[in-house]
Amino acid sequence: MDLKFTAEEAAFRDEVRAFLRREITPAVWEAHRDLAEQGMWTAEFTKAFRRKLGAAGYIGMGWPKEYGGGGRSRVYQAIFWDEMEYHRAPGLDRAITYIPNALMALGSEAQKAEFLPRIIRGELSWFVGYSEPEAGSDLANVKVRAVEDGDHFVVTGQKAFSSDAHMADYGWVLTRSDSASSKHRGLSMFIIDMKSPGITITKYPTLAGWTHHAVHFDQVRVPRSMLVGEVHQGWKTVMGAIDFERAALSSPGLVSYQFDRLLAWCTKEREGGRLIDDPLVQDELVRLAIEAEGAKVMSYWLACLHAKGLRPQHETSLALLVKRETARRLDVSGLELLGPFAPLRHGSPWAPLEGEVEVEYRDHLYFQFAAGGFDITRNVVATRGLGLPR
Amino acid sequence: MDITIDDDQKMLRETAMAFAQEAMTADAIRALEGSEHGFDAKVWRKMAEMGWAGAVFPEEYGGAGTGLLELALIVEALGQGAVPSPIYSTVVEAGLLLLDAGSPAQRDSYLPRIASGEAILTTAIAEPSGGLSPAGIRTRITPAGNGFTINGTKLFVRDAGAAEAIICLGRTGDNETDLTLLVVPRDTPGLKIRRLQAAGGEALWEVVFDDVNVDADAVVGEVGGAWSHVARLLLRGAAMKSAELVGIGQASLDLTLNYAKTRVQFDRPIGSFQGVHHHCAEMYRDLEVSRLLAWQAAAALGDGMAGDRETFIAKAKTSEAIQAVTRTAHQIHGAIGFYRDYPLELYYHRAIAAAAAYGDAGHHRRALARMLRENLGRFRGESSHELPVHYV
Repeated sequence: MDLKFTAEEAAFRDEVRAFLRREITPAVWEAHRDLAEQGMWTAEFTKAFRRKLGAAGYIGMGWPKEYGGGGRSRVYQAIFWDEMEYHRAPGLDRAITYIPNALMALGSEAQKAEFLPRIIRGELSWFVGYSEPEAGSDLANVKVRAVEDGDHFVVTGQKAFSSDAHMADYGWVLTRSDSASSKHRGLSMFIIDMKSPGITITKYPTLAGWTHHAVHFDQVRVPRSMLVGEVHQGWKTVMGAIDFERAALSSPGLVSYQFDRLLAWCTKEREGGRLIDDPLVQDELVRLAIEAEGAKVMSYWLACLHAKGLRPQHETSLALLVKRETARRLDVSGLELLGPFAPLRHGSPWAPLEGEVEVEYRDHLYFQFAAGGFDITRNVVATRGLGLPR
Repeated sequence: MDITIDDDQKMLRETAMAFAQEAMTADAIRALEGSEHGFDAKVWRKMAEMGWAGAVFPEEYGGAGTGLLELALIVEALGQGAVPSPIYSTVVEAGLLLLDAGSPAQRDSYLPRIASGEAILTTAIAEPSGGLSPAGIRTRITPAGNGFTINGTKLFVRDAGAAEAIICLGRTGDNETDLTLLVVPRDTPGLKIRRLQAAGGEALWEVVFDDVNVDADAVVGEVGGAWSHVARLLLRGAAMKSAELVGIGQASLDLTLNYAKTRVQFDRPIGSFQGVHHHCAEMYRDLEVSRLLAWQAAAALGDGMAGDRETFIAKAKTSEAIQAVTRTAHQIHGAIGFYRDYPLELYYHRAIAAAAAYGDAGHHRRALARMLRENLGRFRGESSHELPVHYV
């Protein structure tokens, strides 16, 4: 067990930090935050920044060399994710973490050749079309239909809760291709060009202040070459892909950032003294630090297991649970530590920490249900990890 | 960075776990509780033959020269099997203390015999004042003739009944850390011991020093220079108890999963109920986080890092989390777990004892709070981020 970064890893971390501190300055954040989408970067900036990540070689650094990647270990990727989250940099989403891994594992040679070079340059944004009004945690309950028609499939129906669909170039969409088969059997996965005729997007404002989307497919023609994996075998494709998502989401950078920001607030001199001199505040900060350390160790442990060529599965779900629960604890403690300032939002001259704590308290509510959510994750861990009966 | 255990460590862990599961029956373990020695000398000899008594000592003393993480893996396995042994008194406390601070004569005299399992030694640190700070040490050591006289009362002394010598911490001056360590043979006149009744499998003793005289060569380290060595001893103890707590938690979870999979109620195994799923997932979550923090602490102390921050975090976390794990285990077992002849009770008691040993959760949170006030950089950890520019 070697707790310290190697000299090379530390140098990489410093390089990423320098890059992010140069690119994500307070002025940049002020200039590119989307005031209509509270607490979010604009879609334009997110896309432009993703290209910068591509140009800097960060997107494919963990990919195998045969796909144009850097072939670096998952520890480097974990360091990169950690720093990206810590600096609130945009673009670290499914387009970088999930889709390329799923494509490399499950896509056809033609699909890899078409998409991977564009992904590694940071040119593409994606939405993942799993959820529907009737299919969330019970994912196999999808109703969007795909009907074979010669060299094409014709897709009709509605996807819901579709993050970033408004800026997506492609959709990674799960459909029902055989309604006669049992729930898990008749599913097929497609890559759908979002410029295809018949696609419309509806916006739904969330209580976090930003908008979420529903995507409607009206007789959208998708070439057979955009089928991922085999027809009617979409469930296998989803299950094969989903662990990639959780590994990336379990990065501890967010938790470290939340903690450090609170610490900065508590050490500020103000009339009446510093919060950090209050024993109760010290105890709370210590308890939070212990939880944050747990989330961090767990995330890097996963990266090290991957780096050794192992394939942790339920451990990945567990790490995501720990990270998100810790983030929620920090949200709750954060509001309490802000005291009477807690409800003040960005734009108010008195808003502490630019109103971020209050935004996150609302925004991170989605941790409790998105990508599995807390209770579903506990079920996954109990059945797949601990072997309890369903 | 590689925060996983390597193949050798994995093999050691598996061997230790297999041994700990087979070493003693639950009835034999229970029969030792409250007995004078509290452990089975034959089992300890077997452990010594497997190299565990000497694992962390250099080869020149008959050891294997492994790190503290290896010792943590052994201790975790012993916790999982609820196997009582003098490994804390003899190896974690006295042995490593002598390796750190002992004179060449003291090392030569004790370490090879500790490594071979022949000698049991212990340390007497804590006192009725409670706490683990230097200010709480009232035992007086006064110069007398060619040596010293000791007067005072010590508590929570492990294995005093079996030890051939006790290394005692006492006060030699007025400054808070004017403290000194002396090796005292157990049969020295004026030294009285009394077994404490306590939860868990360890034999804890009260030791009274009533005008106990020792020679000048009894000093371990330097007169007045004891505290840094004792602080290190307490950290090692806390890190090892964190690992033991992980073993206790693992055993509790294993018993619970086995029960939940086989116990049928309402025509279904109770493990199929979502309420049980969630309880078990939370036990497992707390256990895995605890394990990584415990391993991190042992590795940090063993790798020559300060290791204090990592140890405070590990002991604070495991002391609370594993006690919670044992309570949830009982929640799922229901009444059957409440019976003394069901093995879960062993772990419930051991969690109480291990959480209290070498500082409970509150003690270690206070230590972290002190670090927060006095050394913010250290508190945030070696690999911490630079604060984002707009909050500096």
